[in-house]
Amino acid sequence: MPIVHNTLKYTWIKIAPFIYFIGSIFVLILLWSFFSWKTNGDIPGPSAGLLAVQELFIDMSPFYSDPEDPNTQGILIMMWGSLLRVFMGFLLGSLVAIPIGFLMGSSPLWMNILNPIVQTLRPVSPLAWFPLGMIALKSASGATIFMIFITSLWPTLINTALGVSSLPTDHKNVAKAFGFSTYKYLTKIMIPYALPYIITGLRLSIGVAWMVIVAGEMLSGGQGIGFFVWDSYNGGALEKVIMAIFLIGIAGLILDKFFNYLQKKYSFV
Amino acid sequence: MESVSNNIQEIETVENHYDLLKSKPVSIDVKNVTISFDTPKGIYCAVKNVSLQIKKGEIVSIIGHSGCGKSTLMNTISGMVKPTDGEVLANGKVVKGPGPDRGIVFQNYSLLPWLSVYVNIYEAVDSVLKDKTKAEKVEITENALKMVNLWVHKDKLPGQLSGGMKQRTAIARAFAINPSILLLDEPFGALDALTKGTMHIELLKLWNLDNRNKTIVMVTHDIDEAIFLSDRVVVMNNGPEATIKEIVDIPLHRVRNKKEIVKDPLYAQTHDKLMNLLFDKFDINDMDH
Repeated sequence: MPIVHNTLKYTWIKIAPFIYFIGSIFVLILLWSFFSWKTNGDIPGPSAGLLAVQELFIDMSPFYSDPEDPNTQGILIMMWGSLLRVFMGFLLGSLVAIPIGFLMGSSPLWMNILNPIVQTLRPVSPLAWFPLGMIALKSASGATIFMIFITSLWPTLINTALGVSSLPTDHKNVAKAFGFSTYKYLTKIMIPYALPYIITGLRLSIGVAWMVIVAGEMLSGGQGIGFFVWDSYNGGALEKVIMAIFLIGIAGLILDKFFNYLQKKYSFV
Repeated sequence: MESVSNNIQEIETVENHYDLLKSKPVSIDVKNVTISFDTPKGIYCAVKNVSLQIKKGEIVSIIGHSGCGKSTLMNTISGMVKPTDGEVLANGKVVKGPGPDRGIVFQNYSLLPWLSVYVNIYEAVDSVLKDKTKAEKVEITENALKMVNLWVHKDKLPGQLSGGMKQRTAIARAFAINPSILLLDEPFGALDALTKGTMHIELLKLWNLDNRNKTIVMVTHDIDEAIFLSDRVVVMNNGPEATIKEIVDIPLHRVRNKKEIVKDPLYAQTHDKLMNLLFDKFDINDMDH
């Protein structure tokens, strides 16, 4: 008898994640239907959502791209555009934030000088930087990237500084006792210790950047998934807006999972 | 191994290690050292006017209550702390900072958790013995690991090791750079009693293999450990302004045997003396005054 019991338990462990997934889809559809019913169909229900899937993925190729007419593009092409802008801004932001984080974390002087600036600018909505980007770069795409750049700075910068400044005396003592060169100190002690903090910062940065890009593209117009949302709303196609929300969510989830993986890989015991 | 230990037995029969020390040169000379720290509440004087001479090949323990400045005093020998007044000479040279002639084993092992056991030692060897070739450095690292029986664990991260294994790694790292002075800051404090006992023997074995040429200074608050390992025990007063209360000689013969030594009347005597120096309360009746 115990063997049968164990087999059941084993099977359950195997299939449980799948069952839970079905359950969560079910709850989602239930909630969706409820709000659609409550608003008398002003918010399209799940069936309209299915129609949007057909429209966006079957009637028109999601990879459709017409260089003559940038407003008519497949949904995935639009999203890819947004992702590219996020990566550009994120990359530039990280390249600036990590060295400044190291500087602030290792030197109390620079911490004292730069910290007030960081703390003042950090709470500002990244959208506020958009006009400055427009004036400086004279392009909507450039301004969006600039906005993402600003967005990506803060979490990475603050986490890097925190990581570097919290380096335990024990580790510093190893470097002192065995006379490590500056290069060895950086590569064998400082960077490995700060790396998990930096990756946490990057993870937070890309999360916020992906949220901000939608708003940014609504503002800049003519490009990306943000524009698609706004355009669909203006065209009265709310089911497309809902579909876009799901797609944005899934893309964000994948980005987060990737950085979560990096975090696990580079954390030490 | 056989020949080495036989050799030591022979030396022992001729003359006790303790007596031999008298003819050895001075290895560490602490001259009128005072150490003060700037704190928000003002200047705190941890150690005041301490002088101490340690001979080459001598094992000395510094013992005292927590916060009595014993680690601080030892850190002036390692060069991690600069004395406010006075100076420390190691091998005849004024100590200005940490140096390759002094190996340090820290209280909490201080292994780098992202490097394997092997790399932890190799990086230290690479940093200190700059003039050696890569092959020589690899060989030194290998020997150090084999010496403490950690060769099979060389690829493990410190987090995967037991406390005793971590401490052996830290000791191997200190021995690998072949310093003439070995400084141990409460090296066995975090280990359980059984592992501690084994580590004492291992430390003495390594010291023996090196023909008892290394000077060892150890900070501890374990009386038995201090007696078993040392030639002299330095008892410190409580801080602030800690001074040396008394230096107790331990002329027990080497090779010392953990089981036999406790039966030696001299051991009991010394133990008693150290207890009296360190405590003033011995049972509940002493608590009232």
